[in-house]
Amino acid sequence: MAKALEGLRVLECGRMAAAAYAAKLLADLGATVIKVEEPQGDIARRYGPFPGGEPHPEKSALFLYLNCNKKGITLDLRQPEGQALLQRLVAWADVLVHNYPPPEMAARGLDYEALARANPRLVMASISPFGHEGPHRDYRGYDINVMAAGGWAWLNGWPGHPEEPPLKAYGPQTEYQAGIAAAVALLGALLHREETGQGQHIEVSGQEVVATELEFVFPFWPYERRVPVRWGQRIIAPWDYFRCQDGWAFVICVEEHQWERLVELMGDPEWAHWEIFSDRTRRAQNYDVLRPLLEEWFAQWRVDDLYKAAQAKRIPLAPAYDAAGLLESQHLREREFFVSLDHPVAGTYRYPGSPYHGFSETPAEVREPAPTLGQHNQEVYGGILGLSQEEIAALRQRAVI
Amino acid sequence: MAEHGKGPLSGYRVVELTTAWAGPYAGQVLAHLGAESIRIESVNRLCVTRTIVPFAEGQRHYDRAGYFCEYNQGKRSVQLNLARPEAVELVKRLVAMSDAVIENFAAGVVERWGLGYEELKKVKPDIVMVSMSGHGRTGPLRNYVSYGPYLVALSGFATLTGYRGWEHPMHVGMSYPDPNGGWHGAFAVMAGLYYRKCTGRGQYVDLSQWEAAIALLGDAILGYLMNGHQPPRLGNRDPVMAPHGFFRCAPARDGELPEGLLPEDRWISIACGSDEEWQALCRVMGRPELARDPRFATREARKANEDELERIVEEWTLTQDPFEATRRLQEAGVAAYPALNNKEVAEDPHLNARRFFTEKEHPVVGVRKHTGIPWRMSATPCEVWRAAPVLGQDNDYVFRQLLGLSPDDIEELKRKEVIL
Repeated sequence: MAKALEGLRVLECGRMAAAAYAAKLLADLGATVIKVEEPQGDIARRYGPFPGGEPHPEKSALFLYLNCNKKGITLDLRQPEGQALLQRLVAWADVLVHNYPPPEMAARGLDYEALARANPRLVMASISPFGHEGPHRDYRGYDINVMAAGGWAWLNGWPGHPEEPPLKAYGPQTEYQAGIAAAVALLGALLHREETGQGQHIEVSGQEVVATELEFVFPFWPYERRVPVRWGQRIIAPWDYFRCQDGWAFVICVEEHQWERLVELMGDPEWAHWEIFSDRTRRAQNYDVLRPLLEEWFAQWRVDDLYKAAQAKRIPLAPAYDAAGLLESQHLREREFFVSLDHPVAGTYRYPGSPYHGFSETPAEVREPAPTLGQHNQEVYGGILGLSQEEIAALRQRAVI
Repeated sequence: MAEHGKGPLSGYRVVELTTAWAGPYAGQVLAHLGAESIRIESVNRLCVTRTIVPFAEGQRHYDRAGYFCEYNQGKRSVQLNLARPEAVELVKRLVAMSDAVIENFAAGVVERWGLGYEELKKVKPDIVMVSMSGHGRTGPLRNYVSYGPYLVALSGFATLTGYRGWEHPMHVGMSYPDPNGGWHGAFAVMAGLYYRKCTGRGQYVDLSQWEAAIALLGDAILGYLMNGHQPPRLGNRDPVMAPHGFFRCAPARDGELPEGLLPEDRWISIACGSDEEWQALCRVMGRPELARDPRFATREARKANEDELERIVEEWTLTQDPFEATRRLQEAGVAAYPALNNKEVAEDPHLNARRFFTEKEHPVVGVRKHTGIPWRMSATPCEVWRAAPVLGQDNDYVFRQLLGLSPDDIEELKRKEVIL
């Protein structure tokens, strides 16, 4: 069966997760992706976890995961020869996605006007922490800074603990989000190109992507002149984690009927009918009274039994899973979510697959492991660009590739 | 000719059978790209985002809800009571003249209404339909109830995120699996539309928001398989960089803060990925001698002495205003930014200079600031063409202009509570 993006040719440059995730999304739907690494390798290769905690550039869990289904080449974009090769690759490609920030682009030949001369149909997406215009365009930003600048980190903490700092979420999450935003915009530009033949340049700001993800928090200022804080009470209750016999469970009652069924499951205790718990807002206001009563009840349960019992009554309650819980999930197994891949250096592991593997016409698929550093140099420089063995050897000698 | 959004999807029409945050977020992404996104609503099934805070000036009403208005910009709203067969027929007629359908109800709900893919493709064979349920449409948990915060727990985020040494699972600050599910849903629609453009064929996509959240944690899953345990909670530390964290700043002065904030609750994020960045930080702190201190000279040394390193950095930040310190650090080439709250995001000079925010007139709440479109496209610039709709704002447009009903037909449908 055809893949949704089969035949689409994508070049990816940059480091860490943003461009890599954008290109992974395209690769998993069948696009041919060439990942361009600088000769010393993507910095993601320094990030683990690693087997036994021993850093190894071919065994980085982050790199292995983000770069399935791609071809990998090395190319020094800071050398003029490297930039000339990039131009030739651009002539081959439909899409270039990168996440070098604005101050680092010119030195690598990443100029849309110049690249469009090599390929006027090129769709190029530039992902950066703060975008390409505005007073902070040249600011440096790692994931933690972008999370701070977009207003997300301020919100992450724990009720009742104002002494603790804002907290970063696990992993380079702002990069994943900027990456998928770029992938969505790229497909829009490709639709336009199919109609008009016209390529274009897209810029994506990580700070802006994060700012669109603040839930009901952003409008609190324009609507009520209020500033929610990470250590304050939730606006509705219950909305919390509770310790059970063998782990933790989470429950949220958004609708009143969900609370009513939770009360039913708890055996209809008398306190559940107290006036102070009569709706979701009051339960939040009186949460210091409610929490101990719920704690006592949750403590009697085993997590999995409670999960089943609560969901049988359509109460939104979940185990707080760790990786082991996910890997053991019967549901994910039946959906064949995890995919086993054999990497020549790192070995065989199960990887998260594609979350929309239900594409009825064009199934998505994680099928090839991440490339080792420069694994496809021969195939790309010799095959796609048609360079001779001597030329490739000379490029290698001059450390261009 | 009706007004609509600008962008590469201009001329495309999307029917939204959505609720809460993830589905509407996907619909808004498509509207941002220029699609005419039509949201099916009803007073007997109001979206939760119309019913919770914040409300304009605190006055509780479904047309004053900031949460709804933040995530439904540039969309149309039409009222249809899907409990009535006539309403379902009208949705089908609308789908027949549309390009895509997105829905994020629990598995089986749209089928019960008679609006499943098998039905919709009869009226529009090349429709692209994306279901974005919590657990996907197959598997034993397919009927379980799901919300974004629930998926924070179920995906592993809650056990991976956290302050060092805390055992308690953590929320991640917002219902992250919702916008993430929304992005992945929008991506699936776009891939489906692209494939249709190339082949003429529509299709159905079963997106699991749970799986879309796990897709952000692939390194942790592999880490578990490599070592038999998942990565430990690092708080704000980074596996490679140091310093890397939030550092407390000087307290705010009297009168500087909105109600409810603590003066000492002011933080700056600082991260040094290279020795050069660390040396620059030392200069800005007025401690150039630290750059040569062997305890901190290399990345490995800084990681090994991170407690002391953080103590030294915070000793300095405690005397600093977070905004002024950010300016000085960035000038010297150090990655830094204050931890902005929602007011500070709204007032951020950079975002405002970029004209990121939208300020469109809404029929009930007037002009309010909302977050805008997080990309810029050179050939097909995108723009939010109007504020979020009041309930049923586009009844007339949809029923008369698109579906060709007469005023009498419409009155009759209102009387029969089909339009509700």
